Amino acid sequence: MTVLVSTRRRLLAAAALLPLASPALGQARRFQGVRLNVATYQHQFNTYLARYIPEFEEQTGMRVNFNVSGFPVYNQQADLELSTRGSAYDVVNVTFIYAARWINAGWLQDLDTFAKDSRYTPAEWEPGDFIGGAQAPLQDRNGKTFGFAWEGGAMMMGVSRPDLLQRRGLRIPETFDAFMEACAAVHGQDGVAAFAVDRLHHWHWPPFLMGFGGNVFRQVPDNLTPTLATPEAIRAADYYAKLLKDYGPRGGLSYTEDQARQALVNGQAVFNIHSHTWQLPMFAEGSRVKDTARIAFMPRGPAGDFPGANCQGIGIPIGARNKEAGWEFIKWMLSKELLSRIVKEHGHPSVCRASVIASEAYRERFTINGQDIGAMYRAVLDKPAGSNYMAYRTVPVFPQVGDKINRAIERIASGQANAATAMQQAQAEAIGDLRRAGVAVDG
Amino acid sequence: MARARTSDSLAWVGIALVLVVTLAPFLWLVMMAFKPAEDIAAWPPRLFFTPTLEHFATLLRSDFMRSFGNSLVTSTVATVAAMVLGVPAAYVLARMERRAARRLGFLILLSRMVPPIAFAVPFFLAYRYTGLLDTLAGLALVYLTFSLSLVVWMMRPFFAAVPPALEEAASIDGAGPWYAFLRVVLPLALPGVAATAILCFLYAWNDFFFALVLTRTEARTAPVAVVGFLNYEGWEWGKIAAGGTLVMAPVLIFSIAVRRFLVHGLTAGAVKG
Repeated sequence: MTVLVSTRRRLLAAAALLPLASPALGQARRFQGVRLNVATYQHQFNTYLARYIPEFEEQTGMRVNFNVSGFPVYNQQADLELSTRGSAYDVVNVTFIYAARWINAGWLQDLDTFAKDSRYTPAEWEPGDFIGGAQAPLQDRNGKTFGFAWEGGAMMMGVSRPDLLQRRGLRIPETFDAFMEACAAVHGQDGVAAFAVDRLHHWHWPPFLMGFGGNVFRQVPDNLTPTLATPEAIRAADYYAKLLKDYGPRGGLSYTEDQARQALVNGQAVFNIHSHTWQLPMFAEGSRVKDTARIAFMPRGPAGDFPGANCQGIGIPIGARNKEAGWEFIKWMLSKELLSRIVKEHGHPSVCRASVIASEAYRERFTINGQDIGAMYRAVLDKPAGSNYMAYRTVPVFPQVGDKINRAIERIASGQANAATAMQQAQAEAIGDLRRAGVAVDG
Repeated sequence: MARARTSDSLAWVGIALVLVVTLAPFLWLVMMAFKPAEDIAAWPPRLFFTPTLEHFATLLRSDFMRSFGNSLVTSTVATVAAMVLGVPAAYVLARMERRAARRLGFLILLSRMVPPIAFAVPFFLAYRYTGLLDTLAGLALVYLTFSLSLVVWMMRPFFAAVPPALEEAASIDGAGPWYAFLRVVLPLALPGVAATAILCFLYAWNDFFFALVLTRTEARTAPVAVVGFLNYEGWEWGKIAAGGTLVMAPVLIFSIAVRRFLVHGLTAGAVKG
């Protein structure tokens, strides 16, 4: 009897104390038993993330179904799922090139409803800590947030053989003119080519186009008339094609990303422009140039400096069944703590939280050959924040126009057409494609 | 005599050229599957290399084999089901009154007249509501719906070519319609059955589009899994080639095994009905 009374008292006391128990514990366990469907694509970050998911499941009691597909497969499936406002996924990757389409169509949940509400998100999670340039494509015109960036791509210039420049008394080029001069000076020295990039010209070329004062479209997103045959575009195409034709390796016009990267790592090509994560292998074990290679900012043109920058975000479909649980996952996945651990334990470079990039652990890991790569990465990623000059890439019609850019550059670089002819043809074809797709274009 | 020999030689050279042109991509794929990773992107391409099974070993350790199994299951189930349902239907159509058979046959063919993409969203929505999305049963059902009309239309001329007198004779000996069909008519149409089954299997095995739209991870098939090796951070050429080689293998083996039936069946079907 005494035992029973004592037990009852203890139970009552415990019940009285329940409201005082840790709110975090209550918050987390309210998702006990939820099965969360997360869909994304294969990426090194997601491979790392998958290793930490059991911790999240342990903390929250959720079960995470982490669907990882190849990039094209994921995009097709997510596009269909979102366009039918499906509920199969609770959390999705917000692919950069689809971001505007998905956001403007209303297929994603406004995440400010969670991120800016203290009931869901503690102040120390700090949504403002995400780099502005990376967040810009994940917001609508009114500044509402539909995704948070987990991966940033910042275009930089890899320089595998700075010694060849020094031998000619040159420094790493900072302008288009200096870049062309440097390519001319080093090409053929020690049997190396000056410039190697893959065939993704619609990613590599626009910074040159903008640097010469041009743009891909007249006014994104209101006027999507392509502007590929302007004097600036023709000049930029001529410039870029000359780099490929005169200073590229043999067979370089058909290079894949792997080949371009390999050429850089083996010191067979001096310059490469791409996202910095593609250039970091220069500093990895097995690289022939790891002790001397440099990473530099993209050279700037007469009209300014417009290095490519992109991001991949994570968001919640509008039709998701478990939105609050989905937010709990996003909050955990992009918390400062977890991102710091991923940087520290795996050396992942392309996180998008300013505080993590500025952290001692990050700096220590990514200060290479005396260069603070993190600071450079952040500076490039943040560049589009004001003007959002990368918006051209997130409009739904960009893939068609990008394809025309690729073909035009190949025609010029292979000598099939001069820059003016090729770009006028690209312009005519792009306009034809957009008209057939029902897009309003000028003229 | 000399002219005939020259003509023969030219024909052989022509055949060899056509073979080289048509088989070169396959040879290239198979070679790449056995190349060490560092040789795949080598320029100029290396024709001689030390073969390796590393890409196949990686595939065996990955989820790819599950996708491969999914492909086998859905293709086999869809083919068997289409044959079980379609062959008797074709027989009945072959024996029906001509005008009614033609009308019904046309209705069956309608499903082949619409491009598959037109069915994608309706199938997707229907499957989402019925829970068939990302299931092997759902995928096999789609393949069945498309293969059924093919079976009916391909098998009908084979049955039409079998004289009804044979069934009448069996009937006089006491055989019922099913017995006559199974024991008398069907064995005579076996080359057609083999050819039709191969085509059904190939349709399901090679399908990428419906597998992409209607599956996610559980029922993902091999063709979709191969595309999954086109990663954001670079294409995994070794895995793509090894996966492609594995995807080709069953069809190739099956086709070689039944090539006698296949040629006979296809040509017979082409000139009758």
